[in-house]
Amino acid sequence: MLPEEMGKVTKRFRWAFAASCIVFLAVLAISPVREYLRSWKRYERDYVRFAQTRPDTKRLLEDFRFEISQIWIPKMDVADRCTTCHQGITELSLQDSSVPQPFRAHPPIPHQARDWGCVVCHRGQGLATEVRDAHETTLAWEQPILSVEYIQASCGVCHRSELREAPRLDRGREILARLNCVGCHRLQGVERPAMLGPDLSNIGSKVTRSWLYEWLKTPRTITASDGSTEVNGYENEDEPRMPKFRLSESELVALSGYLSTLQSQKIQAYKFDPRVVAAWEKRPDLLDQGETRFRQMFCTTCHSLAVTRAGETKLIGGDIGPELTKVASKVNADWLVAWLRNPQEYLPHAEMARYQWSDQDLFTVTRYIEAKLTDPSLLSDVPSLGAPNSTEIQQGKRLFLEKGCASCHVIQGVATQADYGPDLSSLGRKTISELEFSNSKIARTLVAYIEAKVTNPLSVNAAARMPQYALNPGDLAAVTTALLSMRGSSEQAGLEGLILPSQHPKFRPAGAFGELYERYKCYVCHRFNSYGGTLAPDLTFEGSRAQHKWIVDFLKNPQTLRPTLTFRMPQFNIPTEEATVLADYLTMVMQTPNVNLAGTDAKVFTPQMISLGKQLYDVKYQCQSCHTIGSTGGYVGPNLTNVGNWMNPAWIEEWLKDPQSLVPDSIEPRRSFTDEERTALTAYLMTLKQSGSARPASAGRGQ
Amino acid sequence: MKPKLIIALLLVACASLTTVCHKRLATEKPDPLSRAYDSEPDWNDPQRVIPLNYQQAQGKRVFYHYCVWCHADSTPAGPSNRSNLNPMPPLANDGSVLNSLSDETLRNTIALGGSAVGKSALMPPWGNTLKQDDIKAVITFYRAIAQPPYQPPARPGPQYSVR
Repeated sequence: MLPEEMGKVTKRFRWAFAASCIVFLAVLAISPVREYLRSWKRYERDYVRFAQTRPDTKRLLEDFRFEISQIWIPKMDVADRCTTCHQGITELSLQDSSVPQPFRAHPPIPHQARDWGCVVCHRGQGLATEVRDAHETTLAWEQPILSVEYIQASCGVCHRSELREAPRLDRGREILARLNCVGCHRLQGVERPAMLGPDLSNIGSKVTRSWLYEWLKTPRTITASDGSTEVNGYENEDEPRMPKFRLSESELVALSGYLSTLQSQKIQAYKFDPRVVAAWEKRPDLLDQGETRFRQMFCTTCHSLAVTRAGETKLIGGDIGPELTKVASKVNADWLVAWLRNPQEYLPHAEMARYQWSDQDLFTVTRYIEAKLTDPSLLSDVPSLGAPNSTEIQQGKRLFLEKGCASCHVIQGVATQADYGPDLSSLGRKTISELEFSNSKIARTLVAYIEAKVTNPLSVNAAARMPQYALNPGDLAAVTTALLSMRGSSEQAGLEGLILPSQHPKFRPAGAFGELYERYKCYVCHRFNSYGGTLAPDLTFEGSRAQHKWIVDFLKNPQTLRPTLTFRMPQFNIPTEEATVLADYLTMVMQTPNVNLAGTDAKVFTPQMISLGKQLYDVKYQCQSCHTIGSTGGYVGPNLTNVGNWMNPAWIEEWLKDPQSLVPDSIEPRRSFTDEERTALTAYLMTLKQSGSARPASAGRGQ
Repeated sequence: MKPKLIIALLLVACASLTTVCHKRLATEKPDPLSRAYDSEPDWNDPQRVIPLNYQQAQGKRVFYHYCVWCHADSTPAGPSNRSNLNPMPPLANDGSVLNSLSDETLRNTIALGGSAVGKSALMPPWGNTLKQDDIKAVITFYRAIAQPPYQPPARPGPQYSVR
C-alpha cells in the first residue's frame, strides 16, 4: 500500500471513529436527558420559577426540595405523590383562580390534604409520577380520577348518613330510596322498607282492567291536553315511582287480565246516614261544599292536583301521597269511601292518616272527588278488554314473576322476590373489565357505564330486564354520585374504622299515645327524637315549648302561623279526648332539660319590664322584620299575635338565649341579649294574647 | 417519482399530526359544569347555569337556609319577605350594590348586623349563629352569582403562566 493511500484510510478511519464516538455519547446521553425531562421535574422547575414571581417566594420555597414528594399516612395506607406536581396544594396564598394549574391551592374543604391524602377522595393512581398514569385509566390501573361533578361520591364512602355539605350525594340517595331501587338491587346503606310498591292482593276491587292496562303501558295518571306534562304525583322534573316496563301488547293484555282477577276481599259499600244523603244529594252546592271541605282539610299538604294557569300545567300540593287530578277515573267509588275511612284496612303499611270523618264531610268530599277529579278521556285509547280468559291469567301470572313485579309488589300466595337485579352495594369499586358494555359507543369508564345504564338500560345490554326511568340531568348526576359512593367495605383497611354509619333509631311509642300516633301518622310529617318527616316542626321538645291547652286547641283546629306556607297541618277532626291524650303525652314526655318550666313560672313580670320589652321589640331589635303581630310584620318567623297563649315563658327565655340549642337548624339568629333584655322581651311577648276562635295557630316547615 | 413520494409522505405526516392535535384540543376542553361541585342558575337568566366550587356550594346551602327569606324574590316556601321590609334589602345577586362592598364590609354586616355598620337594624347579626367559615362561604356565593359579575380587586405581583 502506498503511504498516501495509507494516510487516506487512516483519515477515513478517524472520521468513522469520531462519528461512532458521537453516536455512543448520544446514546449514553439519552438516559440522563430523559431523566432530566421527566414531567414531574419539569413541573418542579416551573414551580420554582413561578414561586419567584410571587411576593411570598420565601414562604413558598421554604420546604421545597428537588425530589418526588409524597403524602404518607401509614395508618390509612395512603402514599400519594400528587404533591410532586401539585406543589401549592396547601399554600393559602395560591388559592386565586389566576394561579396556573397544577400549582393552585386546593379550595378550602373540611379535610386537609396533609391529613387525608388526595386519592381517598379523587381516586386515580397516587403512586404514579407521570401525568397520564396518575389521572387516567392505563393498562395497569383501571380507576381513573373522579370528575369533580361526582366527587361527592367519595364523601359518601365514609359518611353513610345524610351529609348536607354534599347536596348531590344526598339527593342521589334520596332518589334511590324513593324510587325503590332496593326492590331489585342490594344497595349499601338503603334498607328494604316494610312496603315498596302497594300490595296488589285486592287490586281488582280497586281499579278496572282498562286502567291497569293504561297504567302498565305508561305509568302516569296525567297527560296534559297538549301532551307536554306527564305526571304522577310529581312535577315532570320529578319521577313517578313506577317505571316503564316496555311491555308488548299481548303482555299488557295478559298482565292487566291477571291483576284484575285479584280480589282477595270484596269492598263493602259504606252505608251513609240516610238523613245526610237526603239532605245533601239534591243540593246545588253539594260539589262546592265538597271542594271547600277538601281544601279546609288540607288534603293538598300530601296530595297534589294539576292546575292549568295561563296555558301552563302545574301541580299544586305535596308529594307524600299520590297526585289526585284524575283519581276518580282510576278507583271505584266504593273503594274510595272505604279507603278514606280506613286506609290501613286496605293497605296495612299505608302512610295515610285515619281521619275522623263525619258522614256529611265524607259524602260531600267523595262526591266532589268523583265529579271533579276525573277525566272521561283518560282510558279512551285502551282497546276494549272483557273478562280475562284462563290463558291470559296464566300468562299474566308468569309475567308478574318474570318481569320482576314481585320484587316491589306483594300478592298473597305469591312469593316475594328479593335480589332480582344485581347486587350494587360495591358498584363504586367495579373495574372496567367487570362491566358489560356490549357494542355501545360510550366511553369505557364506570361513570359512563352507570349513566348509560340508568338513562337507558338497553343501551349497554339489549336483553336488560331493568325498566325505564326518566331522570333529568341533575338527578342523573345525583344518582350516579350515590351509586359511585357504594364501595362495599372499604378497601383501605385504615379507613374502615373511620366510617360514620347511618343512624335512624325508630320512635314508636306504645300505649294510648302510640295508638293515636299511628292513627294520625304524626311521624310522616313531624320529627320525634330525630325520627320522622321534615315537612312539619320537630316535636321532640314540644312539651317545653307549648302550653297544654294550646296543643289541645290546635289539634282540634289547626291553622297556620306562617301565612306564606302552602303546606298546613290537615284537619283530622280530632275529638277533644284524643287531643287531650296527645297533649298530655307531649307535655309530659317531649321535654328538654334546658327549659326550666317551674323556675320561670314563679317570675313576676312588672309593667316596666313589659314596656321595656315592647320598646326592644319595636325599635332596638326590630323583630317585626320577621315576625307578625296583629297585621304588621314579616313572614319569616311565626306569627306572635297569640304567643302568650301558645308558648311557655321559660321556653321563650331559653329561646332568646340560644335558639339553636332547642331547634338545631332554627333560622332565628342567636343574639347577645342581656338577662334584663331577655326577661323584658319575655314579659312583653307573654302579654300578646288573642281571644276568640279566629286565632291563628302554628304549623310550618322548620322553625 | 421520488419527489412525489416525499411530498405524499409529508402530507400524510401533516394530516396525522393535525388530527392528533385536534383530538387533544377536543379532549382538553371540559365543560365547566362537569368540573363543578354544585351549580346555581343565574337568577336573571335561568338558562345560564353558574358552576360553584365547594366553598360557594356551602354558601349556597347557608344562603337557602338562612338568608333567602329576605334577600331573594322567591323562596322555597313561596313568596318572599323582602317586599315587606322598609328599607328593602338588596337581592343577593345584585352586583350593582354588593360588588362595590369589600369582603370585609360584607363580613361585618352579616356578623354584626345592619345597625353595627350604620344600616337598618332590620338586618339581624348572625355572628353567634353562623360560623366564620359559613359567612365566608356565603360571601363567595354572592360573588359567584353577582349580576353584573363581580371582579375581585387586582392582586399585586406579575402574572405567570405555565404551558
